[in-house]
Amino acid sequence: MIEVRNLTKHFNGMTVLKGINLDIKDNDTLVILGPSGQGKTVFIKSLVRLVEPDSGIVRYDGVDVLSMPKRKFIAFQKKIAFVFQDNALFDYLNVRDNLSLYLRMHSQLSEEEIFQEVLNAVQFVRLDRGVLDKFPEELSGGMMKRIAIARAMVQQPCYIFYDEPTMGLDEANVEMVVELIHKFKKRVCATAVIVTHDIHLMRAVSDRVVLLKEGQIEFVGSKEEITENALHTLYRTGVEDV
Amino acid sequence: MTRSRIFLEHLGDRTIDFFTAVYEAWQLTLDTIQALPQIWFYRRQVSEQIYVFLVKTLPIAIVISVFVGLGAMIQGQYQSSALIPRTYVINVIFKSTIIELCPIILSLVLAGKLGASLAAELGSMKISEQVEALETMSLDPVGFLVMPRVLAGVVMLPVITIFANLLAMFTVFFIASIATGWISPKEFVVGLHMNYRVFEFYFGNLIKPAFNGFFIALVGSYFGKRTHGGALGVGRASTNAVVTAAILIVFFDYYLARILL
Repeated sequence: MIEVRNLTKHFNGMTVLKGINLDIKDNDTLVILGPSGQGKTVFIKSLVRLVEPDSGIVRYDGVDVLSMPKRKFIAFQKKIAFVFQDNALFDYLNVRDNLSLYLRMHSQLSEEEIFQEVLNAVQFVRLDRGVLDKFPEELSGGMMKRIAIARAMVQQPCYIFYDEPTMGLDEANVEMVVELIHKFKKRVCATAVIVTHDIHLMRAVSDRVVLLKEGQIEFVGSKEEITENALHTLYRTGVEDV
Repeated sequence: MTRSRIFLEHLGDRTIDFFTAVYEAWQLTLDTIQALPQIWFYRRQVSEQIYVFLVKTLPIAIVISVFVGLGAMIQGQYQSSALIPRTYVINVIFKSTIIELCPIILSLVLAGKLGASLAAELGSMKISEQVEALETMSLDPVGFLVMPRVLAGVVMLPVITIFANLLAMFTVFFIASIATGWISPKEFVVGLHMNYRVFEFYFGNLIKPAFNGFFIALVGSYFGKRTHGGALGVGRASTNAVVTAAILIVFFDYYLARILL
């Protein structure tokens, strides 16, 4: 379980997160929804200390991670995987090395066993093994997203965070990502936190939904409890069209 | 707002920026030292960086050392007169080449090549969230990216400098003794051995290049790690890395000589 208490963050005198309190239950798929510029990405990056919050508490199964020394937290991050908005694949490594890196650094597996794991991950995201020798720049947006999910898969995390996983993808790839999020949950049983502005994605994958507006939580509940009115209010000032 | 107030505010901002940068660079140095015990864990990255350093610098080192040797030889011949024995001239060429010319010219050129490429490499990784991705894979960015590069700089620049010095002196020997016959091989060797001090060899080939390698790698990594602002930011980081490393190299070139020689 992830407990968030009174999380605040300021940037250049602007308060981006205004004392957020939230509990994320084990094996939940929590979707944080809101238009652009509401603090969604800052919020999930604060949960994994990619952004250092100014104050507040974040506990993973009772362990306060914000008070840990950064180096100790980096070791703790073996439990956590993160799928970035722009995928953040290492552009100087081919797909095989991108997927192998975590296992080479953190496991005692032989190169052959690592290759087998990588192959499984690539098959998991429904790509063929021909992709392994390609570099990220040779892949389409949808393929890169699938490789980013495969990289998270290789980590076998307890918690997975997705930052705008459907951003910039066409309809077919959005459906693929939705399917992979479901499959990932079945395979790894990880708690998933997804930041998105995509209402379709929220409806397709969420167990619980948080509506975030101007750094504050407007609503927490199941997707069935969200009214069209709440969505309309949330997006009225945003750039997105409900 | 008066012009003097604007000027003072600007000056104040610049001063704060400067001391912040010095503090951050010092912090990165400490983090790099703290990452050293993890050298076995990051052994693959260390060996990769040593290899990259060697491949990137060797061709440049060959060109520079040959022409430094040629230049020193021409200057030596030109400046010498009938009153100065040629063994003395060779001695001056030898010492100025191994202690000063080769180490500093090589370091300045490598500050341009390696410093810029390091800053650009780490800078693009930073702006495309690849550095953050390392953290989420439970890898320390300083241990994974900075420490191997700094270590490669500290270890390999002395190696390259020794090679460059040898090549430069061989060039001098070839031109002075074999091609032109300006000095006999026996006199050439006498010139090399005159007033020979082992410490000078350590100073020019090991101590100074190790410092320079450290500055090139650390400054490149530092500006790369703090890159922001897209492609423009990457360009700015590369330029700053080259300029800062070059200034540090000439600054410490003077102070190291002053303290140690």
